[in-house]
Amino acid sequence: MLTVLLVDDDAEFTEVACTIIEFLGHEVLTAATLEEARDWLKKETFDHVLLDFMLPDGSGAHLFDELNALPKRPRITLITGHPSVKGVIKGLCGPNIDYLVKPIQREDIEAVLTGKPKVVEDTSEKIEKHFDLLIGESAPMRELYKLIERVSRTSANVMLLGESGVGKEVVAAAIHRASQSEGPYVVTNCGAFSKELIGSELFGHEKGAFTGAVGRKEGVFEQAEGGCLFLDEITEMPIDMQPNLLRVLENKVVIRVGGTKTIPVNCRVVSATNRTMEEIAQSKVLREDIYFRLAVFPITIPTLRERKEDIPLLAKTFIEEFNKDNGSKFSWQESQLNTLQAYDWPGNVRELRHFVHRAAIMSDPTKQVIELPKTIESPFAKKQSTAPALQAGRTIEDVEKELIYATLEKVNGNKTMAADMLGISTKTLYNRLHAYGDLVKED
Amino acid sequence: MTEDEFARLSTYVHDARKPLNRISMQAELVKMALNGEVPAQKAMAALDKIITSAKDCSDSLSDMTSDFGDTLLD
Ligand SMILES: Nc1ncnc2c1ncn2[C@@H]1O[C@H](COP(=O)(O)OP(=O)(O)OP(=O)(O)O)[C@@H](O)[C@H]1O
Ligand SMILES: [Mg+2]
Repeated sequence: MLTVLLVDDDAEFTEVACTIIEFLGHEVLTAATLEEARDWLKKETFDHVLLDFMLPDGSGAHLFDELNALPKRPRITLITGHPSVKGVIKGLCGPNIDYLVKPIQREDIEAVLTGKPKVVEDTSEKIEKHFDLLIGESAPMRELYKLIERVSRTSANVMLLGESGVGKEVVAAAIHRASQSEGPYVVTNCGAFSKELIGSELFGHEKGAFTGAVGRKEGVFEQAEGGCLFLDEITEMPIDMQPNLLRVLENKVVIRVGGTKTIPVNCRVVSATNRTMEEIAQSKVLREDIYFRLAVFPITIPTLRERKEDIPLLAKTFIEEFNKDNGSKFSWQESQLNTLQAYDWPGNVRELRHFVHRAAIMSDPTKQVIELPKTIESPFAKKQSTAPALQAGRTIEDVEKELIYATLEKVNGNKTMAADMLGISTKTLYNRLHAYGDLVKED
Repeated sequence: MTEDEFARLSTYVHDARKPLNRISMQAELVKMALNGEVPAQKAMAALDKIITSAKDCSDSLSDMTSDFGDTLLD
């Protein structure tokens, strides 16, 4: 506990400042003039004097000599209204003085009284974001950064493969950023359009091409001119649309739906799928000729369980994000990070991110500690544990479907929540339900 | 701008900064009240003072523009 003398003539300011200083656990006395301050200095010993530069009976600097002459010289912090005053005073009184510049914040006061820099600055060790986007220092991630670097120098089409939630969309954005191309970055989800509409989305349409085509519209290939087109969930694209896509990739021109004119297009295509290469090869979701056009440079993004050392970095970043958005001050304990690291995260980074946010929401916002639930519940984990009991011969689609419905039931049909628990995007969930014939039309 | 005008301008800026400083501190008090660190009633009073200070600040800016406007007319 410190004994503090606050010298300032603004009564409203001193009143609030006192409340804050007392809350910080210090004793504080106030003076509104140089004269009152001198009176206090005769009667009391102070550890710290907070001194306004402009007082009714003269400058706070007049007190310096008296303060220096005291048997125990208090620390001095000058309160000034203008940053430029700092330099002048420093010249006058030497470096032994701290400064507070109005308007003052609580952390400023805390910082000068404890002699430590603002808490926010020293606790958040800097976690690097590669390409301004990607977190992770593990060997597989470093390998990934190298690939991104290398492919960005070419104009090759890239296919991103990886489980749900590994960060395919972020990697696509990173490739575009690393390319430093002048053109735009355009994203479209191939699974989100009906057979009828996907053509118009990709290639555009002319006015009156079909019912509802009121105006003419540019497709995403045209929009991404000179830049990068990200085709998400490429394996969900209706198979009979694929020859059209192949033609565009081969000839580098599009013809709008209902049009005749060929329009040259020039953009890198990055596509993504959460199926594995074997799955793509065995199933008939993607034509082989298309695969080779799109996957000139295939990149498989590692799962989170293959790079567990990145979990603490990610968890810290996600909690910092949360703190920033919510004004909270949560921080991890070492043992909690170990718990997170021990888990397999079948829903990958997205599952971790949602888990961290949920834990933060459930924790006491006035405290620093995050309360972790006793078990990490994931429908994927359930899937893993019940797997041996499953009958052989059932298809993945069947099991997936069952899992999705079981989850939906658990959250009373709330799709956002279900997607969250499943660690998939709501888009993906809608696509699946679509495929099961459960959603008639989504726009 | 003459030296005299600059001195006058500085006074206005100083006057405007005073309510800004009050606003900043009262806002800190509101934060503390929301965190349960000081009694909740304090937040209401602090918010009223913030509103008053905002008006003070605005007034002193108006004074400044009219003062310098007068200078222009001379
Ligand atoms: N390396 C990373 N660093 C920081 N954040 C990441 C990283 N990887 C993924 N994320 C975050 O995890 C979440 C999921 O990532 P993303 O949407 O890119 O996954 P996805 O592979 O496209 O998943 P899906 O197949 O379900 O579409 C996002 O919030 C993303 O910002
Ligand atoms: Mg995605």
